[in-house]
Amino acid sequence: MTSASPPVRSSRRAALRTFVEGALVVGVGGAVAFVRTRGYSDARDRPLVSFAPWESVVLHHAARRITASDHPEDRTIPTADELDVVGFVDAYVARMPTPMRRDLTRAILYLEQVAPLTLGLMSRFSELAADDQDRVLVAFEASPVVLLRGAFVALKSLVFMGYYRDARTWSVLGYGGPWIGRAGHGSHGAPPP
Amino acid sequence: MMARGRDIKGELSLHADAVVVGMGAGGSIVLRELARAGAKVIGFEEGGAHTFADFNQREDEMLPLLYQDMGGRTTRDLTIRILQGRGVGGSTIHNTNLCKRTPDEILERWARRNAVIGASPAEMRPAFEAIERDLSVSAIPAAWLNGNNAVLKAGVQALGWHGAMLQHNRVGCQQSGFCELGCTYDAKQSAGKVIVPDAVAAGADVYADVRVDRINVRTGEVTGVHGFLLGPNGEVQGEVTVFARVVVLAGSAIGSSALAIASGIPDPFQQLGRNLRLHPAGVVAGTFDRPIEGVRGVPQSYECTELLSFEEGSDKRVWIVPAFAHPIGTAAMLPGFGAPHMRAMRDYNRLAVLTAMVHDDTSGRVTVDRDGRPSVDYQMTLPDSDQLGRGLRACARILFAAGATAVTIPAVVPRRLTRVADIDRVDLRQVDPREFPLTSVHPMGTMRMGEDPASSVVNSVGEHHQLPGLYVADGSLFPTSIGVPPQISIYAFALHIAPHVLAASKR
Repeated sequence: MTSASPPVRSSRRAALRTFVEGALVVGVGGAVAFVRTRGYSDARDRPLVSFAPWESVVLHHAARRITASDHPEDRTIPTADELDVVGFVDAYVARMPTPMRRDLTRAILYLEQVAPLTLGLMSRFSELAADDQDRVLVAFEASPVVLLRGAFVALKSLVFMGYYRDARTWSVLGYGGPWIGRAGHGSHGAPPP
Repeated sequence: MMARGRDIKGELSLHADAVVVGMGAGGSIVLRELARAGAKVIGFEEGGAHTFADFNQREDEMLPLLYQDMGGRTTRDLTIRILQGRGVGGSTIHNTNLCKRTPDEILERWARRNAVIGASPAEMRPAFEAIERDLSVSAIPAAWLNGNNAVLKAGVQALGWHGAMLQHNRVGCQQSGFCELGCTYDAKQSAGKVIVPDAVAAGADVYADVRVDRINVRTGEVTGVHGFLLGPNGEVQGEVTVFARVVVLAGSAIGSSALAIASGIPDPFQQLGRNLRLHPAGVVAGTFDRPIEGVRGVPQSYECTELLSFEEGSDKRVWIVPAFAHPIGTAAMLPGFGAPHMRAMRDYNRLAVLTAMVHDDTSGRVTVDRDGRPSVDYQMTLPDSDQLGRGLRACARILFAAGATAVTIPAVVPRRLTRVADIDRVDLRQVDPREFPLTSVHPMGTMRMGEDPASSVVNSVGEHHQLPGLYVADGSLFPTSIGVPPQISIYAFALHIAPHVLAASKR
């Protein structure tokens, strides 16, 4: 038969240890976060609707890599910058339900701050060279953590929505786009050409 | 009268015999039947009231307009995307119009296993026939087989497998291929086009842009609902309360159960929200050395039923149909990113895409999260996972038989096959289904019907076992997966239970 007092002492000690460890984590984590989240400036000329500047910067870098062309020398293929993919996504997510918007922020935060560390890269994602950014994105997409893979799919889907919504990308695919507005087919309900 | 919440500010207090929550296939039928019988009935829909003039064939604008959560609804672990409609007409606005009755074997199993009475094949036949007349169901002409469907048919025939043309509910189809973005040509005989206007003409009042958040209950009986009037961007701009002795839930297997849970509806046997089926589906893409142009024409007109049997205990539980998407959907589906992804996208017009949909036994669950939103848990069982693997391999086999030069099975580690022999080397038996990008467009169950209160939520005519006056008239009713597209089943069961709802409204 055991007495009640040892577990009480143990519980107090555990609580104290938890408090100290927690304070350390918060302190160190806060300092790291402070250092690692400073210095973002959004270079876009239009105000952001939804994103914080740091989110915009991270997504800007991710969009460049996600939509990177297989023929970068071909200037007829538009870039994510030229199509203002980040501007589109910024406006799009502003209409999302708050919980989805919150999850997206977490995904961007993970990509920027944590994903590089998993490969031993000590810089933020947005400060890595393009090749290293690709490595980070590959690891993100194939993460052993199911939720992280889902987060990558969400990010990728939003970026591609911002990219392939634009008629300038459709020639790459041979996609004709909506029938509405085509010559000889200007209105709803009208028969096709 | 058709009203829009966005046009109303302040508070509304309404009285009716019955209120229907959700204006998709099931809700619209109950609304129409009650209105035709002279009942005062109100219908609420969270999404907007759209016409064909609103549908502009653009993915980036139609996804947020026509789909729940802007097309981003998923299971809680983010592994299965759930595409559900919103707006007057519900998922019938964006579906691909496939019309199949509930298989006889399924109806018989519900009677045998789930104590569902009065819904045998013979008893349901009049409802199916009536609905098919309402929706102008017909065979899709063989000449309308587009490139993607022709690939499926060619592969199925080359293998000597079972396949057939499908039936649909379109009149005046222009074969534009934009079905999942709403029909610009008003050819879809959707609930929003065919059923709701009849209900309104018969005296029903329909309010779009209204999110019902609570079923009101007093002394063991429903007394109506409370909801919010939503502005153009979903912002709350007013409240509405309806006093009615009957409440009909028709907001889908996810929406209806979530509303019931959030309202604290009695659930003594913990059945509410459980027994969710999703018909989860994976895709396989084949590359051809000739143009397929899968994006043009009727998206789904041919089916492969080689791996589908409705006999109880069957190990054939996969339905295969084409699944071509517009560029944004295709880009999201293809694995990877960057230059290799763009190279794959360049094959867009030479791609054929098939989907393997599992007639599932997995029992998922709908709950309500801290934000008050539906949360979907679904962990695929090993037998279902095995079916998925068999289905994906069968899709690959069909694509090669039709002449594909390469086949890709999108996954965390994509399977890229260049010849038939590669299929046998790819072991997809009991794979981790979370590796594959899966989609569900057919949520079912969660408030299933049956005469045993210990194993069901509502009785065989849709009335809640413990709460008189509360009815269900959507896919939530189904005790099991049905293995076919559910729109005809949902319409027909709503029609089947409507007389009972009417009687309750006059009690």
